[in-house]
Amino acid sequence: MVDFMRRALELASEALTAQEVPVGCVFVHNENIVAESRNCVNATRNPTRHAEINCIDTVIEYCKLNNIDYNTYFKDILVYVTVEPCIMCAAALTNLNVKEVTYGCANDRFGGKTVLDISEFYKNNYILNGNLLADEAMALLKQFYKGVNPNAPESKVKKEKR
Amino acid sequence: MSEATEPPGKKAKMADTIIDNVIENIMHSKKNLTAVLDDDFYKEIPLIKVYIGHAKDPKEISRMFQVLNEKVPLKEFHHLKRARKREILLCPTVFLDTVMPQSIQEFLEQNVDELKDCFEYFKEIEVPHKPPLVRKQYLECSKHWSINFHPNKYLEKLISDDFFKNEDLIDHRLFMGMAFEVAKWYQNDKKFTLEDIVKGNINAAVVVDPKNRSVVAVVCDNRYEHPIQHAAMLAIDNVAKTQKGGAWSTVVDSGTGTLAGFDKGMLMHLKNKFREVNYGAKMFVSKRDDAIQSEDSPYLCTGYYIYLLREPCVMCAMGLVHARTKRVFFCYDNLSNGALKSKTKLQCVEALNHHFEVFTGFL
Repeated sequence: MVDFMRRALELASEALTAQEVPVGCVFVHNENIVAESRNCVNATRNPTRHAEINCIDTVIEYCKLNNIDYNTYFKDILVYVTVEPCIMCAAALTNLNVKEVTYGCANDRFGGKTVLDISEFYKNNYILNGNLLADEAMALLKQFYKGVNPNAPESKVKKEKR
Repeated sequence: MSEATEPPGKKAKMADTIIDNVIENIMHSKKNLTAVLDDDFYKEIPLIKVYIGHAKDPKEISRMFQVLNEKVPLKEFHHLKRARKREILLCPTVFLDTVMPQSIQEFLEQNVDELKDCFEYFKEIEVPHKPPLVRKQYLECSKHWSINFHPNKYLEKLISDDFFKNEDLIDHRLFMGMAFEVAKWYQNDKKFTLEDIVKGNINAAVVVDPKNRSVVAVVCDNRYEHPIQHAAMLAIDNVAKTQKGGAWSTVVDSGTGTLAGFDKGMLMHLKNKFREVNYGAKMFVSKRDDAIQSEDSPYLCTGYYIYLLREPCVMCAMGLVHARTKRVFFCYDNLSNGALKSKTKLQCVEALNHHFEVFTGFL
């Protein structure tokens, strides 16, 4: 378990190097990593390209190539992600019926449990575990938010000060 | 004639007519749209019990105010005026000691001794516990007590069901009609029926930059092929494509540059059918490519409107928050999964960093 999260943390560090919000994720099936990714929102200019969404895409592609029914396949997927999935990702993972989600640190800005508990809207829910290597995950986020988002337009407040 | 003996194509043609009728109704109705707002604006304001005292001498009232405001401040009840004619609001009944039960007279003697003989009699009444948010609530509240209320003009307009000017309404209805046209156009490729559009869960989207009345991207659901490729998620990606980004290669024959949000064939069809609007995004200038970013350069869906056949699910709605969409318009409620009206109202979650406005009521 810890090893899977360590791998997710490595991916999150990669994101940080690439000036992306440092979140990493691995999908595990029968003890094997079957998808791994990190945030790539800035590179794709698509704010929904979170680590989890990228992993979902990988799994669907894999299933299609190998003629596997992804509905069945997702039911055995365990998700390891460094930061609690946001409302969007939590909903996507619920729709896909993944078995379990384990996260590092909580997400108090967008969390699908912390900010809005989306499990209330669904009949099915995955098992959710938190706080695995949370400090490491949080340290990466803090490092990122010390800097500025290179793609965001300059804030109006800053402009006026000039 | 039974269904089995109907000639093939007849059913499809009937469905075609149904969609065309829906488009016709959407585009020609004069009915204004409805904003989907926080439930708090529609709720009755709960009441709380308070003590009031009838002043013996009306000339004393202003002095009584001063003393009361200093010694028994109303704190979180600032929406309540201290007096109504000769009746003075003293305090909520819960201010009184419950361990050693006391009367309001005893309470005054202990806390505001100088006013202990100023009242003819006391009464327990119910007054609004919370400040009214909109005029309608204010009018209800005023029946109980005098209320301080400063209406938010914009909010009053939003809640009035008379929000859009006629010329804007025509545009919103046109773009929603276009969303149905998009779904209709794609139904052969995407393997759903026209009935799915009206009754199923198939969605389609039209993204518009209202500043220049220009359609930036159009998409249709691909959820049967790919479970997270719902219309809104695809729309966000198609917008990314107009900004030199994008992740999904879903468009077979996509345009380029500012027209990258369209399938070429689709674009031709729309240009023919809806000639009165513009097509394409504004030119994207990246901060990476250009040290001085143009004021006008688009950023995600900032400032954009999205028109959807049906209320988006939780995933899509949050995607639209991440994309900083300005307004979301939808036609049909999504009772089982809708996140803007039916199951929850994501636009009202204060903790989030972006809040779009939501409108419905096309039919």
